[in-house]
Amino acid sequence: AEGGDSGQGPFTFHLDPVAIEWLELDQDTNSSKFEEYRDLDSGLRIPLLVLKGVGANGDRTLDFTAENVWRDDARLGLDYALAGKYGLSLSYDKIPHRFGNDAKFLWNRTASGRFEIDDAVQRANQAALTAQFAANRTLIAFPFLNNLLAPQIASARSIDISLERERTRLDFDLGTLQGLSWDVSLFHEKRTGLRPFGAAFGFSNVNEIVEPIDYATTETTTRGEWAGKSGGVTLGLRSSTFDNGNSSLSWDNPFRAVDSTDPGASSAPGSGSINGSATGRVALAPDNRSTGFFVDGRWRFTSGWWANANASKTRMRQDEALLPYTSNSAINTRGGAPFDASDPANLPIRNADRKADVTNLSANVGGRFGEDFGLTFRFRSYDYQDDSRRVIFPGYVRFDSNWVSTGRITVPPAFKRTDLGTELNWDVTPSTGLALSWNRQTWDRELREVEKSDEDIWKISADSRAIKNVTLRASYETGDRSIDGYHPEAAEDSFTNPGPLVTQPGLRKFDEAARQYDAWRVSADFLFGEAWTFTLATNGRQDDYDQSQFGLISDEVRFVNLELSYVPGAASEVYLFGTRSDRSTFQRGRQSGATVSVNPLDNWQIDFDEVNDAWGLGWNRRYSERWKSEVEGRWSKSDGEAEIFSPPGGTPDLAIGFDNYEDIELLALKAKLDFTLNPRVGFGFWYLYEDYTIDSFIRQGVRNYLPGALLLNANDGDYRASLFAAYVRLSL
Amino acid sequence: GFALAPGHSTEAPAAQATAQAAAVPAAASGYAGTEACVGCHGDQAEHLEKTPHGRAGFSKLSSLGCESCHGPGNAHAEAPDDVALYPRIEKLSAAKQSATCQGCHSGGKQFFWHNGRHQARGLSCISCHSVHSPKSERAQLKQASATEQCFSCHKDVRAETWKTSHHPIREGKISCADCHNPHGTETPKMITAASVNDQCYSCHTEKRGPFLWEHPAVRESCLNCHSPHGSNHLKLQKTSVPYLCQQCHANTRHPGSLYDATTLGDGARASNRIFNRACLDCHSAIHGSNHPSSPYLGR
Repeated sequence: AEGGDSGQGPFTFHLDPVAIEWLELDQDTNSSKFEEYRDLDSGLRIPLLVLKGVGANGDRTLDFTAENVWRDDARLGLDYALAGKYGLSLSYDKIPHRFGNDAKFLWNRTASGRFEIDDAVQRANQAALTAQFAANRTLIAFPFLNNLLAPQIASARSIDISLERERTRLDFDLGTLQGLSWDVSLFHEKRTGLRPFGAAFGFSNVNEIVEPIDYATTETTTRGEWAGKSGGVTLGLRSSTFDNGNSSLSWDNPFRAVDSTDPGASSAPGSGSINGSATGRVALAPDNRSTGFFVDGRWRFTSGWWANANASKTRMRQDEALLPYTSNSAINTRGGAPFDASDPANLPIRNADRKADVTNLSANVGGRFGEDFGLTFRFRSYDYQDDSRRVIFPGYVRFDSNWVSTGRITVPPAFKRTDLGTELNWDVTPSTGLALSWNRQTWDRELREVEKSDEDIWKISADSRAIKNVTLRASYETGDRSIDGYHPEAAEDSFTNPGPLVTQPGLRKFDEAARQYDAWRVSADFLFGEAWTFTLATNGRQDDYDQSQFGLISDEVRFVNLELSYVPGAASEVYLFGTRSDRSTFQRGRQSGATVSVNPLDNWQIDFDEVNDAWGLGWNRRYSERWKSEVEGRWSKSDGEAEIFSPPGGTPDLAIGFDNYEDIELLALKAKLDFTLNPRVGFGFWYLYEDYTIDSFIRQGVRNYLPGALLLNANDGDYRASLFAAYVRLSL
Repeated sequence: GFALAPGHSTEAPAAQATAQAAAVPAAASGYAGTEACVGCHGDQAEHLEKTPHGRAGFSKLSSLGCESCHGPGNAHAEAPDDVALYPRIEKLSAAKQSATCQGCHSGGKQFFWHNGRHQARGLSCISCHSVHSPKSERAQLKQASATEQCFSCHKDVRAETWKTSHHPIREGKISCADCHNPHGTETPKMITAASVNDQCYSCHTEKRGPFLWEHPAVRESCLNCHSPHGSNHLKLQKTSVPYLCQQCHANTRHPGSLYDATTLGDGARASNRIFNRACLDCHSAIHGSNHPSSPYLGR
């Protein structure tokens, strides 16, 4: 549509063809999975609207874009620019995240971070437990508790669990495409809703509840840049703040109305105890902020070599007021604690007072030498230092149930990662290149099992277009990480008086452990004539932790990818793509009781195998100037298996594996038919069918109630959905 | 052969090219003028009109029109059948292709192109971008979106995004370019932040802390536990809990215990250490906690 008066007015606008769509959804279950990150409910939407405006002189532009209008996943954008001078961009984006529908929830939200159960229900459950404890405490087990909760679960309300991100971004560029430019960006994100949250009163009283989400993130970046012919400098400041509308979360204990405690309360309710807190309280994500600056530089030498450098310094700060040790008012001098643990005045500090500094330095120099060679040197250092003071706590309250008089001390982490490397490139022929690189990655840590490690990584790669219409790429990489020693006792650094080791001395945490790895990648792209392209690629990686007796021992993954497309002309396109991957992970453990087992018969080991397929097939066809169609099918499947073994005679004595280590399948079919009636009007239909199934060991048999766990058991599982859409497309 | 305008195959901004053009008569400099180009290449011009380089504002940046990028075309116009004189960007080396674009686009996200990973592997701007026939709404990509563009080479990553636990990539709510800068960065894997964790904190600010009680492996790298491109397990876990936790924790009692089929939700020894959220049923503050009673990250 022409707006203004053809150049005499301020702007001339052009509206791209816009479709108004009606969706009709038919879904066989109320699984949240179908609309996990999207809104495809029945109703109207405008999938895309693009309005472009040009100023009278042609140097100003004003563009407006809207996607998924009237939907939970809408996105709006507004861009204004004066060519070569400045640009202003404003966007608003909504991202839904649905976790599960129809969750059974005993609690009522009575305040922002407070979930309550009717006092009468709590009193009745406590009374029933007290009576049973007096009559025959050994019967306080799953059947009794299940019967107790069953009527309450049956009458519990149903809730859908989801949150929404609302992102607003404003960018202002001054001096766009000029040598000297300035950029200011402002980003604000609001997250609201609910998400599942693990909350426990003890080893036998796990409550899965919802965390009320009321997060706000605000980030500003100011940047100045000079980019010249031979060099450039960027200076910038960045600030980010996070605010949580809920600093803590309290929820009622279904089994108790009155606070109480005893040394065994963290295993209640059971034959040993029925005590505990009437209300639990957790600290939610604290408000925090991050501020820093960065400097980027580059320089082109007369030889044609380039040098790049980057430096940044960031301080992360968090000073939230601490909660008391517990919400359980019974944990005081009469309840086994040295003081009233529910009184924050008895804390050694009242606020967290945490701060960490990150210093990042990186540089590289590279260029060509001789006729056929290139060389690059790289250096990088990332230094994280949490300078917060170590705080000593004389003990802690386990699950708000009982005082544990084991002194603990906080362990602020500190580490430095340094990368030093070089890469040599050789143009063997004008169409074939080889590259050889070496990189040494060094870690220096404080207060961890491995204080220093070095990993040498060698890589050779080749690219060739020597054969007409064929592109070949291959690479092989190998890494060897050595450590200066492994100190298992570091795992006890948070104890003020560490006792005997409670972990297996042969355990090596894989992120620190010595390892060797090999990785490879080979791909070939073929072009047959003008119409056919074919790609075949494989890549993989194998990590071996040979010095690890327990923990992760090996991890191997292989991919095979293929892609085929046939484009005989502008009117037709057929394509097929697929990937199969196979991952094997092997880990070993040893079961212990109260003391560390030294009996090899207590060993167990698991060999996980995951085979994944992801395949797609499509056909786009234009039959005439008026008719066109698109058809696409996608299928993905994961088939996982856990082979578990434990030698007979120990503990465990017998191990049984399972073959549903996440078996998941998704079939998606989409077809679209579009008809152009005349230059101004078109219409069409599309249809989407999805069939999703999940068979997961971790969900197997999950329901309310289970031993020691009152769960949400929300519906995020199997679904079969048909979505029919009809649209009218208008060129206004 | 085809040669770019002086100062154009290097890093001169378009405004500089404009000044050169104004100073040198077209015929003398070897420029044919846009009208001459459109006379034969009308379809290309028609495509270009729908792109930023075809909008009227482009002329404010460069008066050379087509020859802003293609270089002087007078010789080609006079001998249009001479293949050697075709001013095709594709004929140039990858470095010269990119230099053509960087005559204007050398700052911002392109700041660290030189010595970057894609540059080192012989890619150029036109490996991903199409000036004449872009398929994307933004950034003039050869594919419909930044994500599809990346997937045209990184096919294994595409397969990862189809796993059940995934970022909203395939739904189009975020793209590869939200975390990676394909033009080059100073960080490994071309991520846009100083480290993987800093990258993750940009969206997951609630996990930034620093916390009173920290989980060291979490602080060092989110990738120790998560596969950001996709996973079959909850929350993008590399291996499912509880086994993920047991790859580092083999303490006495429950951390070192074996959880097998008999401990599943419907098993004879059903255990809340394996079903549902497994370890996270209790250790819900696994990324760090501010609670005084949370050395085990349960509060």
